[in-house]
Amino acid sequence: MVVTVILGLLLVPLLGVALAGPSAAGEPATDHIRRTTRRWRWAGLTLGAVIAAVAAGYDPLGRGILLAAPLFGLCVLAGVVAGESRVVRPTGTARQAALETRQGRHYLPRRAFRAVLAAGAALAALLAATTAAGSADDLGRAGRVLAYDCGEITGTHGPWVGSFYSLPLTLVVGLGVLIAALAVHRLVGRPRPQAAAGDLVLDDAERRRSATAVTGACGVLLTIPLIGVSLVTAAGLLANPCRPQWCTAAAWLLLLLIPAWTVLLAWSAAAVLNPGARATRPAPVAA
Amino acid sequence: MSEPPTLRVDTQDPTPPYEQLRRQLVELIHSGVLRPGDRLPPLRQLAGDLGLAVGTVARTYRELETAGLVRSRRGGGTHVADQAPAPRADERRQALDRHATAYLRQARLLGADREAALDAVRRAWPADG
Repeated sequence: MVVTVILGLLLVPLLGVALAGPSAAGEPATDHIRRTTRRWRWAGLTLGAVIAAVAAGYDPLGRGILLAAPLFGLCVLAGVVAGESRVVRPTGTARQAALETRQGRHYLPRRAFRAVLAAGAALAALLAATTAAGSADDLGRAGRVLAYDCGEITGTHGPWVGSFYSLPLTLVVGLGVLIAALAVHRLVGRPRPQAAAGDLVLDDAERRRSATAVTGACGVLLTIPLIGVSLVTAAGLLANPCRPQWCTAAAWLLLLLIPAWTVLLAWSAAAVLNPGARATRPAPVAA
Repeated sequence: MSEPPTLRVDTQDPTPPYEQLRRQLVELIHSGVLRPGDRLPPLRQLAGDLGLAVGTVARTYRELETAGLVRSRRGGGTHVADQAPAPRADERRQALDRHATAYLRQARLLGADREAALDAVRRAWPADG
């Protein structure tokens, strides 16, 4: 838990920038936006990779490895928030606004977003179930093993994703989801830039790029722990010698879903590294 | 997709920003650019886009609602009213005066005299109007 908090504090510089306000710009509007958002996204990505590497090797009981991917995704999201917050806001005397309604759904990649939502729901359900079923290990650490009682035979199987693992994971993932919501709020709400001639510039491509990066970062944030928790849970369920039928069925269901989560992970990683590769989507609706 | 209409605010204009916005929205509704049921931008979005306080835009929307031109529903946004009342005669005259003043300014910048400016209006006016 302490590790999580300390590593989480490393996000403060990025979030500090996000709240500090916009930078000055004297260049074509969309170029400035593209450069600024890309720079901060890559800063978050680099910081996230470093933090993930440090976290992975920190805890011998496996919590570091479990939290590495969510921390990485969290840093990428913070980078997106910082980049979107640095885009110039209107300060001149003559200001313009398009009469349009912008919403997150205009920019988020629809299918991938739904898949990420499904992954989030699956992870939440899985963590709730494994936390409820967890028991203390032989050293008294709560929620670290799965205990079974077959009458003549009693035993435990560990590691199990009980509260020992699920609470810090929920904390980091929850923080990541909050930052993702903030990132979408920022990228939708920031004003359209004005060209030197005074006309409004359509910058939907830049917003879609950021929204794709946010979706990808959430995908990484959720799918890596989901794959790990699925594997550990399936192994724990199948290790019970007197397991009921539904335990076997649940274990195989978890294993069968892993290829789908892996595909989503691959898409998410590609989206984080190169969010500009997406096809065009309809622009926001005019009022 | 056609480009959406644009709202403009000049912070050096002696007319308060909320009134500048109100006039433009009234004209867009009366001219049919904004049709019944069309949604206006959310308060925070429009305020952020124009660098204004949310309260300024809220006052504009409130005045439009009082005039029966828009209807607001909590959580449902602000929409152009289905049966927006027609502009009053004095409002129409004031709007016409504002546009005429703006046209006069442009004509003078182009070096046109009174007759040339009026001729341009006559040429632009449809023969059957």
